[in-house]
Amino acid sequence: MLNLSGVTRRYGETVALEDLNLIVPDDTYMSLLGASGAGKTTLLRLIAGFEEPNAGQISLNGERLDGKAPHRRDIGFVFQNFALFPHLTVQENVEFGLKYRETGACADPKELTERAADALQLVGLDGFGHRGVGEISGGQKQRVALARTLVTEPRIVLLDEPLGALDANLRNRMCDELRAIRERLRVSFLHVTGSETEALTMGDTVAVLSDGRIVQADGSTELFTRPHNPAAARHLNAWNLLEGTAWAGALDTSAGMLPLSRPLAEGAAAQIALRFDQLGVSDLDAVPGGRSHFTARYVTGEFNGPTALSFFRAPDGALIQVVDHLGDPRLPELTEGRSYALHYAPGDALLFEGAST
Amino acid sequence: MTTVTTDMPDTTETSPAAAREANERRRALMLLSPGLLWMILFMVLPMLMVIYVSFWTQTTFAVNDTLTTASWERFLSSATYLGAIGTTLRIWAIVLVATLVVGYPVALFIGLFVKNQTVQTALLVACVIPFWTSFLIRVIAWRPMLGTEGAINTILMNLGLINEPLTFLLFSEFSVLVGMTQIYCVFMVGPITFMISRIDESTIEAARDLGASFGTIFRRIVLPLSMPGVIVGAIFVSVMVLGEFATAASLSGRKVNLLGNIIVSQVGSLKWAFAAVAGVVLTIIITAVITLALRVVDLRKEM
Repeated sequence: MLNLSGVTRRYGETVALEDLNLIVPDDTYMSLLGASGAGKTTLLRLIAGFEEPNAGQISLNGERLDGKAPHRRDIGFVFQNFALFPHLTVQENVEFGLKYRETGACADPKELTERAADALQLVGLDGFGHRGVGEISGGQKQRVALARTLVTEPRIVLLDEPLGALDANLRNRMCDELRAIRERLRVSFLHVTGSETEALTMGDTVAVLSDGRIVQADGSTELFTRPHNPAAARHLNAWNLLEGTAWAGALDTSAGMLPLSRPLAEGAAAQIALRFDQLGVSDLDAVPGGRSHFTARYVTGEFNGPTALSFFRAPDGALIQVVDHLGDPRLPELTEGRSYALHYAPGDALLFEGAST
Repeated sequence: MTTVTTDMPDTTETSPAAAREANERRRALMLLSPGLLWMILFMVLPMLMVIYVSFWTQTTFAVNDTLTTASWERFLSSATYLGAIGTTLRIWAIVLVATLVVGYPVALFIGLFVKNQTVQTALLVACVIPFWTSFLIRVIAWRPMLGTEGAINTILMNLGLINEPLTFLLFSEFSVLVGMTQIYCVFMVGPITFMISRIDESTIEAARDLGASFGTIFRRIVLPLSMPGVIVGAIFVSVMVLGEFATAASLSGRKVNLLGNIIVSQVGSLKWAFAAVAGVVLTIIITAVITLALRVVDLRKEM
């Protein structure tokens, strides 16, 4: 179990991570979701030991890691740009850690070859050992980087946007393979990504990093359906957030007065979150009974294949998105520039107290 | 078969692709020609001329173009001249090793430990500051440093470490080695720094993450990746040291005779054929050294 408590990292005046707490359990695939510049890479570099935190503790299975040299931490790091050794062959790259580690180096050439071959087989690169790293494709480089890390049997594997440099097709295949490989090795993976789909697909658990803190860490379904705060909801790219102030038992938002699911003090700031796929659209005078609604003007639509995204503007200009599934359409025929009623089941709306930041 | 018309262009006309290729070849030739012309006029032709002159007949005060191998026989049978070859090779080898030993750590520091590019450049510029003054000044400046009443001897005597001045410091092979190492070190530092600073920081971090200590990383990653820089630096230093004469002339008190010194003195006494022989021998040695260096690392692959 990897345990980070109160970890803070500053660069001069800039705070990259502040009082961050995170637990990565054993034998888990955890993805770490954050916007670019949120400090995801910094977090991994702190765990691997390339940088030290200004405050806080990092421990692995009860043993303190911070302050230890990176080559004594026994943690695997898969770099975003692969960082293969350009002057060595694929085989030599994979053998590097086994052969040259400070403690427990393997000197037996037969064992080295065998273990490297096993690792290459694990990532599906049988027979590529003799190639130079300049002679293989991006996806293959990614696999070599993974094999090179896995062969040393690290206690936890950190993957820094491992699929970022791959094309979409390859990305989907690597997703499945990464999960399969991890399940075979029974070691924890901490996978950093900026893409919410990748995070939700890959992770048994997804942690959302925002403004230098972990704002929520939960199972993917739990996180997607019940984000605990506006920051988590925003990172999922599936929730409309409407902010406003409580007034006369409702929330006065940019889209109008919306009912509150629980009473708030008069004048308190709050946000209502409405999921893209839980909003229905109807003509202004045909709102189905039992559903709350507000008015917005239809701007344009975007066709994404199996789903279609429709964009609306609330009276004050806030952008509202609605997702429709092609196989099971809910939306009527929409005309650009016309106003519609956007309705939802009151129970689907989430209420977050406090002003947006 | 009767008239079959196709859309294929007439074969007698050049296709657009061929025209473009011809165009590009012409441009390449245009870019190449000034350099090529310069090299032919001022390097290839004089080289051939030197080889030719080395077979001329040398009398005391004149040369004539009757071909003979007399100069070659005299050169190759003279202990003095063969000794000069030996001295040249010995000094070259020692200076090469010394510049590497002094220069590599400096390059390692600038290339690997200085992260800021501006500071990197500033440090490299600092390395060439001695070149802002003339070669002769740089060489002669060693005299007040190394002389019997020079700075080093004075300091050592004042410290009570020695009773009488060390005489081997100046006008000896030692002073030539010190002078040459100082002057040519920067040519070693530059190329090595360049190669080291090109090493991707993350490959070093990756090696560290895989459990390698700094020493291992240096041996297995940094050193092999900087080898092209070492070779380029070695070629620079070799070419300059092998053709050297001024440092030896002013710091050795004429005790050290390099091939370069022989050429200078022979030209001075108008022994053209003989100077040409020494010149050809020197060129052969330099060519051999460069060939050897290029054998060690395939620069085309690395650069």
